[in-house]
Amino acid sequence: MLGAQVLGVSTDSKFSHLAWVNQELGELTYPLLADFTKRVSKEYGVLLERLGAALRGTFLIGPDGLVRAYTVQDLTVGRSVDEILRLVSALKTGKLCPAGWRPGEPFVPPIPKSTGK
Amino acid sequence: MAIQVNSPAPAFELSGVVGKEFRKIRLSDYQGKWVVLFFYPLDFTPV
Repeated sequence: MLGAQVLGVSTDSKFSHLAWVNQELGELTYPLLADFTKRVSKEYGVLLERLGAALRGTFLIGPDGLVRAYTVQDLTVGRSVDEILRLVSALKTGKLCPAGWRPGEPFVPPIPKSTGK
Repeated sequence: MAIQVNSPAPAFELSGVVGKEFRKIRLSDYQGKWVVLFFYPLDFTPV
């Protein structure tokens, strides 16, 4: 995904992940991780305690390890892969990307420094 | 919400499935790369 590493996480066990891969998904191009203790889901603020399961949280993490964007949505609504790609593309430019920016579109010119007075 | 944009992503090490094998993965394995970390509720469900 645009040179980014994708990592999937749920609170299922690694055995459940493997069964899912074998029975339905087929081999994935990215890891599926087992947050069996729910610690990581909790730390990222996506653990739904009553279910012991994670909400649909997506976190974009930069090469320096900083969180640069995240969205969390309820269980009933899937993600927009398109929007994730748009965000990664925009963040990677390091430039000012206006609302609704898409790859290839112009950036906002840098704000000129005040000349004083 | 524990996470703040522009703050370090919490470190972790988790077991998981890579291809068809079990492996341990740390977030720090991907230092220097962009990472899309996504959480989902349950195996064997669509959406």
